[in-house]
Amino acid sequence: MDLALVQVLNALSFSALLLLTGLGLSVVLSLMNFVNLAHGSFYLLGSHVAVVWIGAGLPPWLAFPAGFVAAAAAGALLERFPFRGFYGRPHLMQVLLTYGVSLILADLMRWGFGAAIRAPGLPEALSGVVFVLDLPFPVYRLFLIAAGAVLGGGLWFVLDRTVWGALVRAAVADRGVVETLGIDTRRVLAAVLVLSAGLGGLSGALGAGMLAAYPGLDEEVLILALVTVVAGGLGTFRGTVAGALAVGFALTFSKVWFPEFANAAAFAAMAALLLLRPGGIVAPPLRQV
Amino acid sequence: MRQASGHPAPSRRRVLAGLSAGTGVALLPAPALAQGRPLRIGMITSLSGPFTALGESMRAGMNLLLDQSGRAIAGRAVEFLVEDDGARPEEGVRRARKLIGADRVDALCGVISSGVALALRDVVTEARVPTFLLGSANDLARGAASPWIVRPTKTNWMLGSTAGRWTWERVSKARVLTAGSDYAAGREYVGDFAEAYRALGGTIGRQLWTPLGTADFGPLLTAIASERPEVVYAFFAGSDAVRFLRQWKEYRLAGRIPLVGPGAFFDQEDVLPATGDAALGAVNTFNQSPTAPAAAGFVRAWRAAGRPLPGEFSTTGYVCGQVIKAALERAGGDLSDWEAARRALFDAPVETAFGRMPFDPRNGGAVLDIHVNEVRRGEGGAMVNTVVHTYEAVRDPGPAG
Repeated sequence: MDLALVQVLNALSFSALLLLTGLGLSVVLSLMNFVNLAHGSFYLLGSHVAVVWIGAGLPPWLAFPAGFVAAAAAGALLERFPFRGFYGRPHLMQVLLTYGVSLILADLMRWGFGAAIRAPGLPEALSGVVFVLDLPFPVYRLFLIAAGAVLGGGLWFVLDRTVWGALVRAAVADRGVVETLGIDTRRVLAAVLVLSAGLGGLSGALGAGMLAAYPGLDEEVLILALVTVVAGGLGTFRGTVAGALAVGFALTFSKVWFPEFANAAAFAAMAALLLLRPGGIVAPPLRQV
Repeated sequence: MRQASGHPAPSRRRVLAGLSAGTGVALLPAPALAQGRPLRIGMITSLSGPFTALGESMRAGMNLLLDQSGRAIAGRAVEFLVEDDGARPEEGVRRARKLIGADRVDALCGVISSGVALALRDVVTEARVPTFLLGSANDLARGAASPWIVRPTKTNWMLGSTAGRWTWERVSKARVLTAGSDYAAGREYVGDFAEAYRALGGTIGRQLWTPLGTADFGPLLTAIASERPEVVYAFFAGSDAVRFLRQWKEYRLAGRIPLVGPGAFFDQEDVLPATGDAALGAVNTFNQSPTAPAAAGFVRAWRAAGRPLPGEFSTTGYVCGQVIKAALERAGGDLSDWEAARRALFDAPVETAFGRMPFDPRNGGAVLDIHVNEVRRGEGGAMVNTVVHTYEAVRDPGPAG
């Protein structure tokens, strides 16, 4: 029983990481209908920045905002060129563009940060452990769960309950009408993309303690994030939360029950889920360009 | 960074330039070239994909040896051409065909991925090119051995079986749990460990496997914590190793359960710098150690360029160069009579950074001293693989075994 409880905590902490990485991707996808395959690069940039930041002896807690700022800045640059010109294009064009961008970013990061595997030293407060019924569970993972819950909740609140969120959703639904209100929708969309990139960087900084940072991680994270977003239901916020929990629990418990077939079992479960509910767990009202 | 402090890492452009020049030369009538033609050594390694850092180390190790030799061996200038296999067998084969056919290399070397090594085996055997192969899959010393291949490195069996001996003799006689990456190398390391340990009378408990590229080892570590084994034998490589070890510490298993593994799991260059003190006290069996006496000269030269302590692949790249150099010197700078060159190489051991290296003429594989390294705190608090015991002259069972 105690074993199962700790495994549930394990699953929750992994789900939190998936949620953090999935959020940025789902924000641009659901709000802007823009497929950004360079999202994994923002994540990796955040990880690298956190590693360098902590390695340089700067205050470790500020590594997380530093990851956010660095990735957001990269996002702001890329938004100006070339992303902006592709918002209205078909998904296939966006996929080609952003995949290309992700390859360029991967090479730039390998050049700038090296090819070695690097990982940050965690702040003292996060490197402890709590004993759950005699089994150890790291404090860092509790922190991840909390960070996932807080960021997820905060983002939901901003986008769903504030006028800023309403503005963004309106700009996506009908740009023309919002423009007639005297609002520059280009800036609104730019802000969303920057926020998404920043979230990618922040999750990279948070996740670096678990996944480390190295060339190739960008693709691994991107795939996990895509699975999360697709399984949960494209284009809905609650869907991403549901997807993160589903993928996190599936991957964790498949490792517990069938460790040798962990990936096969987990992804078979995902495939079955998509067959049963092609729209994802939380199927959105379809809005396809 | 490693690369920046190293050597004219042949950029792709430079290699391409070399290639076009090379093919131009190759069209000239042969006699005109016989004398002054430089020796051409081709290397196939991974400069992209999952083994990028390892491939860069291998190339840097080889470059160090070539620089120490003044870029000339046995009186002939050496041209060193490097090709990237991206850790993909079909790409490795394509690059090998290019080095053999277009560049007309005198010898080939390299390879990180055993998949690429096994794929190259037929290519170089068919093309009859002397090849110094650094893959370590057991089959390379057994069914896939080839008269055209010399392997100046270990097989997985050498590390797995010595770890079984060490664990039985010094750590625990029962309740071993194994955990491994579920791919060829993981299966070999863990399988050979279990076989050697059982042969001595030990019993193996649970055996856990995870897919290559596992992001989260939490579930596995919780399972290990609840099993409370006497000792864990594990193998993970690269980023998996870093994650496993860091999480091993996060889950408070470090220091409570002895951890044993093959050397690559605790690689000095690739893994330990990223894991803090998580691996402190862990033990590994390895043909490489920065503290091995035979490696002292190499370690000094390697660090003189401002680099951190060398790991497996920088040392292996260097040793590969030493063995190629010995082969060329014994053959008077010409490998075209490979039969004789090979015999001369196998006649007497070569002094290398892995120690005195005799070869097993049955399979062209090195007979190696296998060190038992304990991860200890070295100068400046860095983790260092420190030799605590050496199993001398370990030889793979070979084709008959």
